[in-house]
Amino acid sequence: MNGPAIGRPARRIGTGLLTLLLVTWVVFLLSHLVPGDAVSVGSGEESIGQRIPPERLTELRALYHLDEPVARQYGMWLRDIVRGDLGRSFHDGRPVSEKLGERLGITLTLNALSLALMIALAVPLGAAAALWPGSRSDRWTGAATYALYAVPVFWAGLLLQIVFSVRLEWLPLYGLESPEARALEMLPRIADRGAHLVLPVLCLSYGGIAYLSRFVRANLTESLHGDAVRAARARGLSLGRLLFGHAFRQASVPMLTLAGFLLPGLVGGSVIVETVFALPGLGRLFVDAVFQRDVPVIMGLTLLSGTATLAGIVSADLLYAVLDPRVRRG
Amino acid sequence: MDTRTTPPGRRLLAAAALLSIAAAACVAPPDLDNAPGVVRAGLYTEPQSLSLLGKNDRNSGIVARLVTDSVVQYDARLELQPMLATSWEVSPDGRTVTFELRDGVRWHDGAPVTARDVVFTVEKSREPATEANSFLSGFQDLVRVEALDDLTVRAEYSKPYADFLEAWTVPIIPEHLAGRDPDLLKSEFSRRPVGCGPFRFVRHEPGQEIVLEANDDYWGGKPAVEGVTLQVVPDERTAYQGLLRGDLHLLSVPPDIWAEAEATPEADRLGRLLFFRLNVWYVAWNQDGSHEAFTDPRVRRAMLLALDREPFIEKVLGGLGKAAATTYHPDSVWADPGIAPLPYDPAEASRLLDEAGWRYPDGGSVRERRSRPLEFTLLTPTSRQEISGRIAAWIQQSLAEIGVRLEIETLEFGAFLERRRSGQFEALMASLTFTPIPDQYELYHTSAAEDGFNFFSFSDPEVDRLLERGRQTFDRAEREAVYHRLQRRLEELQPLSCLFHFASPVLHDPRLRGLQPSPIDMWRITPGPRAWSWEESGPGP
Repeated sequence: MNGPAIGRPARRIGTGLLTLLLVTWVVFLLSHLVPGDAVSVGSGEESIGQRIPPERLTELRALYHLDEPVARQYGMWLRDIVRGDLGRSFHDGRPVSEKLGERLGITLTLNALSLALMIALAVPLGAAAALWPGSRSDRWTGAATYALYAVPVFWAGLLLQIVFSVRLEWLPLYGLESPEARALEMLPRIADRGAHLVLPVLCLSYGGIAYLSRFVRANLTESLHGDAVRAARARGLSLGRLLFGHAFRQASVPMLTLAGFLLPGLVGGSVIVETVFALPGLGRLFVDAVFQRDVPVIMGLTLLSGTATLAGIVSADLLYAVLDPRVRRG
Repeated sequence: MDTRTTPPGRRLLAAAALLSIAAAACVAPPDLDNAPGVVRAGLYTEPQSLSLLGKNDRNSGIVARLVTDSVVQYDARLELQPMLATSWEVSPDGRTVTFELRDGVRWHDGAPVTARDVVFTVEKSREPATEANSFLSGFQDLVRVEALDDLTVRAEYSKPYADFLEAWTVPIIPEHLAGRDPDLLKSEFSRRPVGCGPFRFVRHEPGQEIVLEANDDYWGGKPAVEGVTLQVVPDERTAYQGLLRGDLHLLSVPPDIWAEAEATPEADRLGRLLFFRLNVWYVAWNQDGSHEAFTDPRVRRAMLLALDREPFIEKVLGGLGKAAATTYHPDSVWADPGIAPLPYDPAEASRLLDEAGWRYPDGGSVRERRSRPLEFTLLTPTSRQEISGRIAAWIQQSLAEIGVRLEIETLEFGAFLERRRSGQFEALMASLTFTPIPDQYELYHTSAAEDGFNFFSFSDPEVDRLLERGRQTFDRAEREAVYHRLQRRLEELQPLSCLFHFASPVLHDPRLRGLQPSPIDMWRITPGPRAWSWEESGPGP
């Protein structure tokens, strides 16, 4: 009971941390291997009056330690990380933790809402399809969700904006809140924020419904036609009982794997949705940071998504043991 | 349990739908009938810094111009006007300038603006950590700057420089606030900047907006609009829809959206403004000898003669551009009106190439000289509008007709700059923006090939001489003569093939009045936004 049960999680977490270290090193190396650096890239528009003399470029590189060997720079970054300091953005000089912090909330909210919407729609659709495979409703939901899956997000975003915001004027067009929202009471202000999230959340979730409902369908079909369920059916169990008491339970292991991937998905920003709806989330921050060669921000985001990915995988791994005795026994 | 369980999703969905309807009821669409007071302008990228002085991307510059003043500033006709200075005097040897400052100007916190602040700003701008790149070259030869008393600043240069005033458009910042932290970009001041300009900083929501309000204590009088809010909307199409809905009042748009607005009835009510900024799209020919053809001015001239620019401007650029002659913009006061863009003349182009020894081999379609074919790679950066790709493809097609073959290589901007810096290119195409001064020493002088912008290794003694003279000639008429001669020489030698000047289209709320187009933007001139106002009566049409 003691030795292996404690040793296993510790080992998993240990290898997880090593992987994370490797990932950050590779990303650090890559962001220094691309041509150009934060100092030379500038603002994108070239002006003859804004040219920086070469000696000044050298001074600037020294200021950001860009003149040091990459391994040394990585060492300095790692040392600061251990002290809990993510450094400052090369781009605007603000602390990376602050930049991530103000955007993490937005990205988490968007992703959590769209995940909830996706599950709320995909699980019943998938379950219905699994109960009556090959039926007309199964075929139609399959076709419809795949059609949605194929719709490009930027186009859907624009279409939703034109219909609901420009033509019908039901919903706001972009941003987190209305210009006058600061003057509102708390409840109307929350409603205002909520209204701003409707279209982005729709955009983020419609594509995943196809994937998730097919996933649910495949797993449930398998367990519904298994021996245990057949036996339960023979005992005269109701359909709901059958579904929730047995089939879902048997399908929980593969679904857990999926859940392990959903955790990092929560902190992953969507560049397209954030751009189309002018929402300051993590996706845009990452893309901008790459173009600006803003290494501290790139690394901060890498650390964030890397940690989330590993936490997802490790915890799914450990939960298997809880759910499935066969895994526990090795 | 019965089998007719409602799926949990339906309840959630119903709740979400209800919530959104409730919310929609609270969020009225923007009111188009009453004048808004505050001008909401769309920006596609967030200003890099609010330090007013450091990081000089265009949008940081806009914030700086709204929040604070400079010693002198350009007006819409590109003449420098006194701002914080009321007058200035240049010593006979041209090395010393003394500014008299305006009395009674106050920072937004109430403290007086003094000569100390000006000295502090100039010194701060020269610190590497400030990254005040726009003002580096202007203050390069400055040896001393000092406050003689509260309202007198004296600056001393190591050598006379006729365009010295340009650098004094530097936005002035208060020493008592901006001097608290050693590093301006990382300072508290850069989060809550304080200036002495027509608008006061209210707040910054990162990634969303910057809110400014009119300064009723402004020395030049309170602005007519209540404030300016700069909203960050990265997607051009979303911003345009925002303008149609009335969420935004002012927006610079790319050519395709300008064309769309022409064809959309909903856009009829919008105000339109078209102006040319001081920029040029150019092809630079590397003249370091790596490609033997490009050291010959006849070849460079032939390339431009082979381009039929007018139809391209009409069809691809939607009329939003004009053919360029040199890097001196036709809207600049220094442009020689006698120089016209080269016409489309493929016959003359072929004659010049023949003359230079590049002839068609028997049965071949690509010209050769001493069995080396006339072919090269044209390097371009990726651009937001993919416009550089279209221009490059058109050049490729046009040059093929006079027997020149070219490959196009497109690189991401940072990678492009790195390649250019290393000098590993044959020809490259990009755009360049200029300040209103006539001095283009950094671009064309032989010495600028080492550490300047002359990355294409152009060298001509006559051009060098004129550039040197222009820098030291203070008399206006005499300067004009020097720079007109320079332009004629440049036109003759074609060190760069200047293709187009692009127009900057602006769409705006029709009730917003007083927008003044200017070759350096409508934001950064005086009076600029201070003179904007709302039309009193209801909506336009």
